[in-house]
Amino acid sequence: MAEETVYNRIAVLRADRGVSRRDLAAALGVHYQTVGYLERGEYSPSLHLALRIAEFFEVPVEVVFSLRPFPRLGSPS
Amino acid sequence: MTALYRTRARRRLLVAAGAVSVLVLWADATVSWFIAPSDTAVLVNFVLLLVMLAFFVPAVTALNIATRGLASLPERRLDERQVAERLRAFTQANIAMRLILGAVLVAIVAATWEGGPAVRVPGAAVFLGVMALLWTHYLLPLLVAGWRLPDPPPDDPGDDQESPNEGSVAT
Repeated sequence: MAEETVYNRIAVLRADRGVSRRDLAAALGVHYQTVGYLERGEYSPSLHLALRIAEFFEVPVEVVFSLRPFPRLGSPS
Repeated sequence: MTALYRTRARRRLLVAAGAVSVLVLWADATVSWFIAPSDTAVLVNFVLLLVMLAFFVPAVTALNIATRGLASLPERRLDERQVAERLRAFTQANIAMRLILGAVLVAIVAATWEGGPAVRVPGAAVFLGVMALLWTHYLLPLLVAGWRLPDPPPDDPGDDQESPNEGSVAT
């Protein structure tokens, strides 16, 4: 299988909203380490979990996940 | 206890200790094949079982804590990442178990080839061999899960300096 990379902005959204890993994990019904693995890019969530993460932050799913790297804060584009 | 499984290298040492406990049981069955039934066999059996437990109890306890019950908890108690990791562990353990069964079969055929149907195998060796098989089958998923386990993310989000604000997943 070809390598498929999915980028996410969970850590940035979580910091922006002041939500701890444990709180996010509790809201999603997953282990808090799973949130850490997601943020470190070591686990790719199911579509269901991805949609629930987007729903938790009240943003469209493409704001949280992307097939291309997100631009760094302050960079043009 | 946490220090026992904090790093991947230590967890892999625990996996090695768990593997030793299984190997000791296999050694016990092999020894019984050659010297049972006898008083020596009983003594050797007792000593090897104690050695097996000395490796098994701390290694399996620490691995179960490190993997957070990945190999033993019911699926409803695990999240989707843990379930996926458990499936990988069970799949790899299943492949390893097939190889072990093949190796055991070859070893038994080789050991009994010359004697033919007249070969007698001590009951203790058969019993311990079956026990070793069951033990291996029971323990392999935990050993595989412990071997594969990556270092957990730091608990304090403020410590997570290395990752920029994006993560990437390779599948």
